[in-house]
Order: sequence, then C-alpha cells, then structure tokens
Amino acid sequence: MNGILIAMTLALLIPIYEAWQDEDIWQTMLAFASIATKTSIMILVVSVLRDDWMIGLVGVLILSVGNASLMLLAHVLRRMNEL
Amino acid sequence: MSEDFYIVVIAVLLPLTAGMLVAQRNPYHALVIRGIVGAVAALVYALFGAADVALTEALVGTMLSITLYAIAVRSSMSLRLGLLAAAPCDPDEPTPEEPPLAQPLLKALRRALSRHYLRLEIVPYASPEALQFALEKKEIHATCIAVTEALTPATAQSAASAPYHLSVRLPRLLEIVQNGVPPTLASVSLYRSRQMTTANLSDSPDARHNIWENQP
Repeated sequence: MNGILIAMTLALLIPIYEAWQDEDIWQTMLAFASIATKTSIMILVVSVLRDDWMIGLVGVLILSVGNASLMLLAHVLRRMNEL
Repeated sequence: MSEDFYIVVIAVLLPLTAGMLVAQRNPYHALVIRGIVGAVAALVYALFGAADVALTEALVGTMLSITLYAIAVRSSMSLRLGLLAAAPCDPDEPTPEEPPLAQPLLKALRRALSRHYLRLEIVPYASPEALQFALEKKEIHATCIAVTEALTPATAQSAASAPYHLSVRLPRLLEIVQNGVPPTLASVSLYRSRQMTTANLSDSPDARHNIWENQP
C-alpha cells in the first residue's frame, strides 16, 4: 500500500512541476487536468485498499466534478482570448 | 508510523501547491493553480476519512469558486478605450470592427497592458462630444482621438508632434500607458474632470449613447 501510493505521489509531482514553471495558460490547464484525474484515481485506490465504499463513491464524484470544472474554466478562458 | 508514511508524503503536497499559488503573479494562472490546490486538498481530506469535506471542497472550493473568479477577473481586468467610429456603422455587420485607427498604436498599447495582465477593450463612439461625456461619466478609462479631430485647441496644441492623443482618467493607468506607448505614436495626458458645458450636449441629445448599443 505504501509503495503504490508513494509511486503515485511521485507521478503527481510531474504535472505540479509543469504547472509551476510554465508560462502558457493552456499548458497550466493541461497540468490541472492531469492533477485532477490523478488525485481522484488515488482516492479510488485508497478506497479499494481500505475497503471503504464511502470514500470510493466520493472519489468517483470528484473524478467527474474535476473534469466538469476544467471544461467550464476552459470555456471562460477561450472566450477571453477571443475578445 | 511507517505504515502511514504515505499520508505524510501526500499531506506535504498541500503546502507545496499553496506556496505555488501564493507565488503566482498572473491572475489566470493563479486561478488554475487554485484548482490544483482544491484537487490536492480533496485528496488529503479523503485520506483522513472526511469524505463529506472532500466532496464539498471539490464541488464548491474548486468548481464553483474558480468559475466565478474567472468571470470576475475577466470582466474587471481590462482597460476600456473609447474611440471615434470612422463611418456610420453598417447594419448588415453585427460584429463591430476596430475603427481604422493606427494599428501600431493599438499593438503597442496591447503589449504595454499585457505586461500587467490587462486586456484592451475598444468602445467606439459617434462623436468627440460623446467620447468626452463617456469619459466624464466613467464609462471608459481612456479616450484616443486623432489630433485633427480634437475637441479643444489646447489638446491639439499640446499634441502637435504625435498623430494621436490619449487622455487617461486614472493616474496608475497613465503610468502604464506612458511606459508602453512611444511618444512618436501618441501623446498621453491625464484627464482632469471638469464640468461639461451644456451647450455641447444640447446640440446632439443622442450623442452620449454608444452607437453600437443603438443597433437592433
């Protein structure tokens, strides 16, 4: 359990570094998409390992909500660039 | 303790991303990083067993707040520049084109504003009187007129060397514009509010309306 989650945390550090150093807003959005998906997958892994269905349900909801917020933000930013 | 070592590693991510958020200067980048902080926070809350808190953080803290803040930042961080519309606008063309103002001037202005993460918003007006009234009423932040079309002779005299004259209402914006626009393109001055003469307005009662708003 320890090894799997620490490996996933290390994988999570890659998009965090990308969001930190990049200047382009769309690259930052890509890093956000990656982080939102990775964190919710980590929640699902924890829920399976702990056999906790409540956390699993919340993980599924967060997985879908993260993508929805990404799409909303992307639309607002795209319209800003058009103006 | 060694079994729960992963919890410590994941919890360290939260101050790390929060530090990134505080260090960010661009407001749009900061919004996206706020989304990242929300995702990491939801992960930490779920790890500690607070599933309801994690769900609330994802729904309200991330989705709702960054969407609302994106709209707020987008509509507030802009400089509204009033221009004279060159010709009576064509009703067949619903999207207002930029008036044939000097393109290098607008480009220099956009570059100067984007250094401070501001947008340039062009607002066309029908007459110089309408332009000045809008500046007086704080509808726009700055006006840009060709020197030949200047309303007062004093303005025309002070701007004899440059083809355009920018008059800015706010001192901070004046600073930004002065640093970015070369003096050969346009002269810049601070607009001081004065009482409008009613004689100017009585000539054209509709002059103060923005001409694009009058279109069907």
